[in-house]
Amino acid sequence: MEMANSIVKLRGYKDGLHLIITPKFSLTDVEEAIQELMDGMNQPLAGTSVHIDMSPSLLTDDDLKELETHLIQKHDLVVSGVSVVDEKCEPPILAAPATHNISTSLPAENLPDFGKAQIVRQTIRSGQTTSCLSGSVIIYGDVNPGGDVVAAGDIIVLGTLRGSAHAGVHGKLSAVIIAMELVPLQLQIGSYVNRPPIGQKPRGYPEIARVGAEDIIIVEEFIKF
Amino acid sequence: MGKVIVITSGKGGVGKTTSTANLGTALAMIGKTVVLVDADIGLRNLDVVMGLESRVVFTSMDVIEKNCDLDKALVKDRRVEQLVLLAASQRNRKDDIKPEQMQDICERLKEIYDFVFVDSPAGIEQGFHNAAAGAEEAIIITTPDVSAIRDADRIIGLLQNQNIEPINLIINRLSPALVKKGNMISKNDVLDILNIDLLGVIPEDTGVIASTNRGIPLVHNDGSPGAEAYMRIARRMTGQRIPIPEMRDDNFFSKLLTWFSRNQ
Repeated sequence: MEMANSIVKLRGYKDGLHLIITPKFSLTDVEEAIQELMDGMNQPLAGTSVHIDMSPSLLTDDDLKELETHLIQKHDLVVSGVSVVDEKCEPPILAAPATHNISTSLPAENLPDFGKAQIVRQTIRSGQTTSCLSGSVIIYGDVNPGGDVVAAGDIIVLGTLRGSAHAGVHGKLSAVIIAMELVPLQLQIGSYVNRPPIGQKPRGYPEIARVGAEDIIIVEEFIKF
Repeated sequence: MGKVIVITSGKGGVGKTTSTANLGTALAMIGKTVVLVDADIGLRNLDVVMGLESRVVFTSMDVIEKNCDLDKALVKDRRVEQLVLLAASQRNRKDDIKPEQMQDICERLKEIYDFVFVDSPAGIEQGFHNAAAGAEEAIIITTPDVSAIRDADRIIGLLQNQNIEPINLIINRLSPALVKKGNMISKNDVLDILNIDLLGVIPEDTGVIASTNRGIPLVHNDGSPGAEAYMRIARRMTGQRIPIPEMRDDNFFSKLLTWFSRNQ
């Protein structure tokens, strides 16, 4: 699940709800944004606990304490913990899904260059892995069952994708996987995993997989960007 | 100068040894000189399938250890001229032999013979690397089932890394009736995944079991569907253009048709 406005974002992870606060806003702005978020909710969250994710320069310790009290008093939300993401840290990886939305606060030189693409002019066969941890991958061939493609950015297969593909490996959730025929064993984008129903046949047209609004990987016919 | 061809599959039990024995015999029957090298050190099957078990005195290990000359270790076939076998030692293990030693044997054999077939052990470890070491071409054997195809795909990747080219495919034990029912992967689906040239298709033939147990390769059994398929492959390997026939379904109606045409 995901609820968001421009300042705060509420996201559900395996370990519970995370309240993600966008940098460069004052405490009042944040509190207002939370109010707005809660008003837009169709189910009450009272009594649940949330985890706060934010960057260090944002709120002072006092602000944070005030925010905690505010959340308990006004919204009946218990703060289970606070993650402060250091600006100098590596891009978040899938092992730490709680922080993967914070990559906007990373300095530019640490970010993978998604515009860069590695071109592979062969079929990726069983047991072979192609990975590009600094950008996207384009494959002129197939990816066979047991073959793996891993990319920081997008994965484009100009053939049939029958193996596994992991796009946005550093947590880039806007990464996509495109294949002329998409019958994968498994797809991953960022920390999300999906697999097609057993026995799925090729559809005969190109398809695109991306993270949809419901935080699941959706697959649809690829027509254009 | 002949060529060294490794026969391999990744998965065990798909018909590497049977195919080596039959292709070798078939090529020798149409006049080529052929040597079969058993690279399955420690297990040795090829001499048993060829019915030459009792004639093996020296093995490839003896040649490597210089216990005997290479030509002394070559066992002549019982039935076909110009066909010999270099057996594997059963007392040694797969890592007792080095890739360079295998390569050296293959180099020497291809000076004399038109075809040097190396029967690879199953797996992707040392034994496979030894078998592939001296080869310049490869024949992949697979059966139409997912695990065999997956392993074949893995092996093709490994062979391509070693610049072995061409890599051709033989699909073994295909049953047209099962394909038609949708219970077996079709020839075209196998080719779609593996994406290499097809050398031939061997239909499921129960005659193989009997021929293996008797130590007489199937190709001696004229008229059996398996034997005919191996003979066609052998002819293709000598450069003849023989199309791969679309296999008939063995249902009652087609059997009836064959019966009528035979009795005309």
